Amino acid sequence: MIKQIQLLFSVGLALNLMMIAPLAAISVGDSLPACALTSLDGSHEHNLQALRGKVIYVDFWASWCPPCVKSFPFLNQLENDLKNQGLQVVAINLDEELADAQIFLDKYPADFAIALDPDKQCAQDFGVIAMPSSYLIDRKGVVRHVHHGFRSGDVSALRLVIESVLGEPL
Amino acid sequence: MNHKYVLNLITVFLLITNIGLSGCAHVAPWERGVLAKPQMAVDPLPMQSVTRAHNYGSREAAASTHSAGGGGGCGCF
Amino acid sequence: MKTGSHQPGDRQQKQVDSSQSRESKLPAGSSSNTTLQALTSAALVLPGLLMQPVQAADAGAGADSFSFHYSRFQEGKRKLFTVPNNVKPIQADVIHASGGLSLTDRVKFSFNYSRDTWSGATPVTTAPLATNGNRPILENTPFGVITSGASPFVNTKILLDRQLNPIRRDPLTGQVIGKDTRLVEIISSASPETRDAANFNLGYEWNEAALNISGGLSSENDFESRYGNVSGRLDFNQKLTSLKFGLGYSKSDIAAILDQDIIPYLTRTAYAKQIESRGGSEILHGGRQDWTASLGLTQILGKRALIDTNIGYTHSTGLMENPYKAMTVIFVDPDVLNDGQDTLITGDVRALVEQRPGVRNQLAISSKYVQHISPFDAALHLNYKFSFDDWGINTNTFTVDWVQPLGNGWTLTPRIRYYSQSAANFYQPFLFSQQNFSQNVVDTSGREVWEDVNNPDTLFVRDENFNLLDRDGNLVDEALLNVQPKTTPFDAKKLPKSFSSDHRLSGFGSLSGGVTLNKRLVRGIELQAGFEYYARASSLKLGGGGGSGFADFNYYVANAAIKIDIEKLNFSSHSGGGSGNAQAHHKVSGQHHHGGHVPAGVMSGHMLDKAGDFMFGYRFMYGRMGGDILHGDLVASDQEVVTQGCSDTLNCRVAPTFMNMKMHMLNVMYAPTDWLNLMIMPKFVDMEMNLRELSGRPDPLPGVHEHTGIAGHATGGVGDTTISSLVKLYDVPGHRLHMGLGFSAPTGNVGLEFRRVFQIDGGLDHFGMQLGSGTWDFLPSLTYTGESSRWSWGAQLNGAKRMESKNKSGYRLGDEFQATTWGGYNLTKWLSASIRGIYTVQGAIQGDFNAFNGRSGPQDFPGNQGGQYWDIGLGVSASVPKGKFVGNTLSFEWLQPIRTDVNGFQLDRKGALAASWSYHF
Repeated sequence: MIKQIQLLFSVGLALNLMMIAPLAAISVGDSLPACALTSLDGSHEHNLQALRGKVIYVDFWASWCPPCVKSFPFLNQLENDLKNQGLQVVAINLDEELADAQIFLDKYPADFAIALDPDKQCAQDFGVIAMPSSYLIDRKGVVRHVHHGFRSGDVSALRLVIESVLGEPL
Repeated sequence: MNHKYVLNLITVFLLITNIGLSGCAHVAPWERGVLAKPQMAVDPLPMQSVTRAHNYGSREAAASTHSAGGGGGCGCF
Repeated sequence: MKTGSHQPGDRQQKQVDSSQSRESKLPAGSSSNTTLQALTSAALVLPGLLMQPVQAADAGAGADSFSFHYSRFQEGKRKLFTVPNNVKPIQADVIHASGGLSLTDRVKFSFNYSRDTWSGATPVTTAPLATNGNRPILENTPFGVITSGASPFVNTKILLDRQLNPIRRDPLTGQVIGKDTRLVEIISSASPETRDAANFNLGYEWNEAALNISGGLSSENDFESRYGNVSGRLDFNQKLTSLKFGLGYSKSDIAAILDQDIIPYLTRTAYAKQIESRGGSEILHGGRQDWTASLGLTQILGKRALIDTNIGYTHSTGLMENPYKAMTVIFVDPDVLNDGQDTLITGDVRALVEQRPGVRNQLAISSKYVQHISPFDAALHLNYKFSFDDWGINTNTFTVDWVQPLGNGWTLTPRIRYYSQSAANFYQPFLFSQQNFSQNVVDTSGREVWEDVNNPDTLFVRDENFNLLDRDGNLVDEALLNVQPKTTPFDAKKLPKSFSSDHRLSGFGSLSGGVTLNKRLVRGIELQAGFEYYARASSLKLGGGGGSGFADFNYYVANAAIKIDIEKLNFSSHSGGGSGNAQAHHKVSGQHHHGGHVPAGVMSGHMLDKAGDFMFGYRFMYGRMGGDILHGDLVASDQEVVTQGCSDTLNCRVAPTFMNMKMHMLNVMYAPTDWLNLMIMPKFVDMEMNLRELSGRPDPLPGVHEHTGIAGHATGGVGDTTISSLVKLYDVPGHRLHMGLGFSAPTGNVGLEFRRVFQIDGGLDHFGMQLGSGTWDFLPSLTYTGESSRWSWGAQLNGAKRMESKNKSGYRLGDEFQATTWGGYNLTKWLSASIRGIYTVQGAIQGDFNAFNGRSGPQDFPGNQGGQYWDIGLGVSASVPKGKFVGNTLSFEWLQPIRTDVNGFQLDRKGALAASWSYHF
């Protein structure tokens, strides 16, 4: 009898594990997808492709995601230290309730650009699989580094990669 | 309580669980704002759970399934 | 009814009053060891098997935090039907401290410490009501003789009809009342017991997996457990699916000190090989091992629902009995039963230590469904668990929780739970055995065999003239021998292999409900309070068949907790900044700690400076007394103690050998303004003492039970609570002066009693073993601190003035005054050392116990309390100057007695340790 239960359980488990939803995730070497973004108040439309020529650090975040909170001071630091060298930080909010994002930003002010992805098309094009996810795009529009999550120990390695890409000639 | 009845009960229960699991919709990583809420945690009150488990354990003869815990939540990395 | 059948009963009534009687007066657990011990303790709830749920997949949530949790378990009185139940039911106080810190962004360390103290009365066995096992206690009052309570008897006689139905008689007159098949639990009271448990956990997190290793120890007087477990989690499918697993092992050593007072009445032949005799006590040894394995799956079903399913398997071997629980076996002589008559017969009621199988396999499966209810932003948690084992116990548990956020950080969680279990296949409320408990041996010619008590191998018989003959038929001079009839005990094979009357193995159901209220304050502080009521009822058993409700009871649990999340504090502290590295915005601790670090043993030693600041602290103090009995500052001989240590009319019989005191203090401090601090400090204490007989002591007093033996006795629970304010008087760079005005509220119990033994009240426990002062006390203090470069120094005067003339037990502690001064040096930026001198004077106790106390030694006399004390304190203190753990300070101080001058006769002091941790934010 116990065996039967265990069997059932394993079969169920196997079924569940097979049910992985396919998602075409962007990886290193791919080119930057065309993303239609808006500003926080929804007024202006932006296209990431318009930033070509700059090194772009795209970060997908949401207000309810604890590691995203942790990443904000780091993003502020990047913006302040490396903006003049041609780095553009774009933090794309994926909150389903815009109000949540606004409350969050009041609490944790951002010095960098915040954009909205209202129909989440951009997140799908990037194939975001985790929160937060960040993508480093070089001046030619090629994805050079993908990073999932954020931990305090990630800071120095990320910074090194960003600075090295910034140092490349156009 | 007879054993067979109980085992059938588990079987039905497991089947329902599994149908539920395989039938579930895909939830994108950015759609987990509700799941990230503290009230949606698998164990929203862990300190209470420890106390209660201790008290029940001292008055009842049930076995425990306490496992490593975890799962659920915001899906953050 | 035939009158003849009354005679054994009449004889029995007479025997009850004789201390040599074979009748059992089951005492209520001796001062040292109790029927209760293994009950609420590790024997049933092996802490290692209850793995602490590690934090969920959310990286970083709750990683750096600490919490403190207090809960009170209070059981209602059990039903005794025919007599009033005047013993206090079980009560347990549990304090639980835990903390977690991330060593790196992927490595986490956490610890848990908990201490349980419990006391009260518990069932030792179950018997037919007709055995009158809860014997009435009569008391003379101005209104006549009343029944004031009950005293347990486990060895007695019972009248039975030929169908073995119990016939109840009036316990006092012996008058037959009639057939009565009701059952009752035999209740016995117990002195307090304590358990300490600690565990450590180290975890590593990958992006989509986690691994934890933990180990711990649980220790109490009679039960020690060590355990370890490995657990982990694997995430799949973008974390929509998590697979969890765990493997645990626990090894326990049991050394149950059998109740010295119950031993004569407890049949324990089945355990003869496991029982060791030492120091006049019998210790039942045993070991136990438990393996657990668990597998779990969490699956997100949609944006608003998830399901969590777990299977757990437990394999246990070894001593699974509760050695303090007995089975009532009624021995019936088959010759009498089958003699063809219809008169009432007498059953021989005996208590046998319970016997459980040596192996147990348990399998449990549980599933929880969590659904978000959008209109209320609430979460509904539905939980079902089923378990079964090879003892025949099937259980079903249904739990529903509704987690309702109320806004402003409040959350209310009502909960309801239904539980049902079937009985273990060896559970019986009591047993009949158709044989004699013991039987006289007869030889082949039918003559009774006699044996020499001093030489049991030598057997004799008697001839028709009652002359004693040896084996060869020679006449023996009986005057030289001590002969008695040889007996053989009952045949254990005629009893079931396993038997237990523990009601927790019976079939029953229970219904419980409760509510938890949470409040998240600013800066990562969370407060929690909970209450739960639980009712057990045989009639609630799923499918019925739970039998009569004789073992029904209820309990409630009230608890309160505080949790502080360091990480959230850090975020809020730099939320105004908006830019820069998180580290750059942390406060620097030096700002808060003027005057260097105050040694760990100094209370109210420093103030918070900034309005709005908080401090959360935990302080632990351990003190030990032992060695010689002092008279003033000189060592007293036993003879002096005997003749002078007690009173003019009463000589001392015993004196303490040691006394340990442990105190846990929680300290929450808040600065509403920069010159005023408010503080609340709840305390939890436990104490342990043992006594020895003095040489040259007088004989025991009749009617007073002296609790000596190898185990000592203990008390513990909630102590007094201090509420105080600190006022800044003077503050220039390098010099500060502040005043403390405090009050101590009498929340500690001063009415703790020894349990009843042999129907004799134990009376109040010693003055020093009570948990508080029992009076409202005024606690003034004046503190000066100074510092210059790496040096710091300070001085404090403090006192305790009792504001009432006596507490509820009739006495009050002496007033106290203390003067102390110290100097410290910062060895490094984060480590400092201190040396301190302390002078303390405390008056003798005023008044005296207003209720019975054993008066067995110097510790029971009010004049033998207080004195003058000189100590030197050596301390170290470490504080974290920057980084994530800024604001944490850990200090230790050892207090070495230099000179002791006691009032009257008291035990010498060995020293004290103070450890203090505080977190300032």
